[in-house]
Amino acid sequence: MTKHQGALEVEGYVVECLRNAMFTVELENGHRVLAHISGKIRKNYIKILPEDRVLVELTPYDLTRGRITFRYRN
Amino acid sequence: MDTKRFNSGPGSMVVTRVADGQWHVLEDDLVAGRGYSMRRPDGRLFVSIDAWRSAAFDRLAEVMLADLPEPLHTVADEADTELTAGWQRAGFTVRRREWEFVLPTDPLVTGLAPGRSPSGVRIVPAGEADPEPLRALDQAIREEVEAGAGWQSMPAEIRARAPGVTIADPSRYAVAAAPDRYLGLLRLVSAPRRPRIGLIAVLAGEHRRGIARALLSRVFVTLHLSGVTAASAEVDESNKAALALLEGIGGRRAGSSLEMAR
Repeated sequence: MTKHQGALEVEGYVVECLRNAMFTVELENGHRVLAHISGKIRKNYIKILPEDRVLVELTPYDLTRGRITFRYRN
Repeated sequence: MDTKRFNSGPGSMVVTRVADGQWHVLEDDLVAGRGYSMRRPDGRLFVSIDAWRSAAFDRLAEVMLADLPEPLHTVADEADTELTAGWQRAGFTVRRREWEFVLPTDPLVTGLAPGRSPSGVRIVPAGEADPEPLRALDQAIREEVEAGAGWQSMPAEIRARAPGVTIADPSRYAVAAAPDRYLGLLRLVSAPRRPRIGLIAVLAGEHRRGIARALLSRVFVTLHLSGVTAASAEVDESNKAALALLEGIGGRRAGSSLEMAR
């Protein structure tokens, strides 16, 4: 787990693509969070699919929600 | 660093431009959102905002839009109603919609007959095209597009290149070849789990001959034989011919992106 400008960033795997532009991501610690894609990823036309390894920034307000900020090439 | 404080509403927020093209909003010393701007190779300025709450989105948008010259563009997933609503509150309207397709590669599903090409046309697989006629074809297609609506309505990102250098990697292109020249091309983008059709284009005078189908057939057979079951592609909703082509081979609309502008 890393901290970026006060935000928690955790690696995880995309488990499921949901219908409302959200994704279920299983984090390294086994917890699952609901995440959407960051605007920077979307602007660059990067697509997220199940099994992708991603970096998730967790919201300080609710640790069950986050945003995908990076997709690893794996 | 430019900073603007907002003290109205339930909590105080401070929006700061922390670097060129980067802003963040602090709420009670927590980063409640970030905003970015970037200029695309085609010259258009795109913005994005990631905020945990709509109030933070609105504050960031207010400051960013005051700092940046118009027109401004952004991209949003149409299914993300919260995000699209935020941009609409900021005065953005939908300029175009792009459908994302998932395309099967199995010839039994697509109905694409392997090895069948229009009369007088040979499909050259990726990696075997001659770079010089390929660049000539690419240049001709670019000139045709720029003489019409231009690249702004193209879903794939078109990168500006130095004069005379249009194709960065010829090995990624399958081409449709007549005996004396190339007529169409297909660029396949490799991706970790699902390859993407980055560009498929045929010279204007050669449309409606089945050349695009033949290109797809050749590329999909190769993918299918290597165990790849699906590819993806994005199509502008105004491109009726491409929509018909992809739906005709069993393509499924998996989502849509909105390009919004103000």
